[in-house]
Amino acid sequence: MDRSAIRSKPRALVRALLRLGAGAASACALLAHTPAAFADVLPVGVELPLTGSMARAGNAQLEGIKLAADLFNQGNGKHKVSLTVIDDEAQPAKAVSAVEKLASQGVLAITGGYGSNSVSPASEAADKAGIVYITSGAVDSAMTSRGLKRFFRIGPASGYSKAVVGQLNAMGVKSLSILASTKQATTDLSNEVSKQMRAQGATVTVHAFDPTMTDFKPLVNKVRLQDKPEVMLMIGYENDYIGILRAAKVLRPQLKAVMGAWSIATPKMTAEFPDLVNNVIGCAMLPHPAQFGTAEGKTFVEAYQAAFHKEPDYVAEFAYVQSRLLFDAMARAADAGTLKQDGIAAELRAKPHDTLIGKVSFAPNGDNPSFLNNMAQIQGDRIVLVWPKERATGKLNYPALPW
Amino acid sequence: MADLLLQSLYSGVLVGGAYALVALGLALVFGSMRIINLAHGELVLLAAYIAYTFETKLGLNPVFAIPVAIPVVCAAAAAAWYLVSRIKRDRELNSLILTYGIGIVLTNGVLLGWGADVRSTGNAWLQDSVMLGNLLSMRSEVLSFGISVVLMLALWWWLSRSWYGRAVRAISSNRDAARLMGIDPRKTELISFVVAGLLASCAGVSIYASSAIQPSVGEALTVKAFIITVLAGVGSIPGVLAGALLLGIAEALTVTLASSALQELAGMLLFLIVLYVLPNGLFGVAKRRG
Repeated sequence: MDRSAIRSKPRALVRALLRLGAGAASACALLAHTPAAFADVLPVGVELPLTGSMARAGNAQLEGIKLAADLFNQGNGKHKVSLTVIDDEAQPAKAVSAVEKLASQGVLAITGGYGSNSVSPASEAADKAGIVYITSGAVDSAMTSRGLKRFFRIGPASGYSKAVVGQLNAMGVKSLSILASTKQATTDLSNEVSKQMRAQGATVTVHAFDPTMTDFKPLVNKVRLQDKPEVMLMIGYENDYIGILRAAKVLRPQLKAVMGAWSIATPKMTAEFPDLVNNVIGCAMLPHPAQFGTAEGKTFVEAYQAAFHKEPDYVAEFAYVQSRLLFDAMARAADAGTLKQDGIAAELRAKPHDTLIGKVSFAPNGDNPSFLNNMAQIQGDRIVLVWPKERATGKLNYPALPW
Repeated sequence: MADLLLQSLYSGVLVGGAYALVALGLALVFGSMRIINLAHGELVLLAAYIAYTFETKLGLNPVFAIPVAIPVVCAAAAAAWYLVSRIKRDRELNSLILTYGIGIVLTNGVLLGWGADVRSTGNAWLQDSVMLGNLLSMRSEVLSFGISVVLMLALWWWLSRSWYGRAVRAISSNRDAARLMGIDPRKTELISFVVAGLLASCAGVSIYASSAIQPSVGEALTVKAFIITVLAGVGSIPGVLAGALLLGIAEALTVTLASSALQELAGMLLFLIVLYVLPNGLFGVAKRRG
């Protein structure tokens, strides 16, 4: 045997090994970027404002989503969900980037989003990428008139406006002042409520305020001296409510009640600002302490308390519901082998679902027409559901004010 | 209508006082070093969160947090000065970028340390209303205005009567000549930053006592402070108070007479109009040509 033959054998072996290794690496790379339609793991993207002005709501949503993933994974032996979380900092451009990044990482669907300003472009990006986007954090009516096939929303503005108007009617309110932030969702809700109340013959005065406003005394003074309504309705976010209530506490307008929209009737506001929010009425799916009559509800509350050592609020509850709907739909689509053929969207639309927030069904435009929020009143350290009657857990204090 | 206008003017004056307190530190650094410290709002925010921690952990009136906030915020201000002092070229532009970055670090530090939740004082004494005739305000707002005026007078005295204060003015007037007269520019600039930190501490505690805070507030404070500093005219401390009061009143009257949605627009319009009429600001001195 000559030397060249002796030397060429190890080289050939090395070359073969290298080829094998390259092939294995390619296969791994391929699998890593291939939707896991063929594996037990269902990758899901989460795009939320974990920093920035909406961070509190974003973090609350993340808790609900994580809990949903944990409970789904515990209960489903065949499929597991894995979450990839990206912070969009409550900025529309970053929300779009987050979605594009998640799409490039091969997620099958996205759950999350808070704030119509961010969710709108983010969901369009998801739809372009062929990915389902489900949210509870964007209530603007225009969201579901864009013709997107893969956008789903469990809590439209109509559910909030029906609740607010229902509560106002239950109190027999004939004159109302609305203080609304100029952001998209708040303006939308303000327009809807004022339209419905005016149609019923009520006197409605609307005061739009810039989101950066911190001193509300001139505005509340107008309500006090010019409008003189029975009820002052605040439509904004936590920092707005605190500023308005502080100003109202100083100026003491002659009102019968103070109402808010979202983010006011929460355990956090009750615990941290008891002097400001007592007797304020706001939208809330959950009373506090949280009570559920169903097994799933009790499991949710116990699991939430064990994981986060606090009471759940409605933001976490919504995120939990939207995510469980998504994960269950993904599992069914995976079983049917339709993950890649818009199967998730089809499964979400297939039938109504019983959830912690009641029946959820999705119309062709992605909205949940069954959604109806509750109204609750903060009474001391408790949040009592007061509307609609069939869901009430206590009696409304009216007339009653925080001061 | 008269009641409405008077209350509006009164609220505007009080808010202006709070704005002045925030802007003083930025005006001092800008006047002495020609550096816009874009992290100034975050220094104020840091002091506000220290006041929050002081109140929630110790259960004391947050105003007593000022002696605790001062060393922390002054140390942060000194650290910012150290980084800015390392810039050798294009100081005005590079310091903008650097201090913006410092601001981002501070904001995210606050977010990591204290979370994203909205915070506000629960102290009943501070939130009690105070009546001046028919005019109403919160006790914390009146206190904040008083502190603002006292600090402004103290700063004016320091700049005009104390050795270091005059050194700061000398450096801002002519750095090289001041150095030749025996003034150490680095030390003087450090002192400017530290005094700005002291002012930011008082401003932060004052803001926590009278309104809500969250990590994103710092940037808005910096913008307001900058507008007031430019309105006032470079290096003018009385101008800061005048500019701040003008801004506060303009915003309050816009809300009362027009729409609250136009409040920020009114502030910006005022800014543009004053600079158009008085390019050097309300109390700025025109530079000689030639």
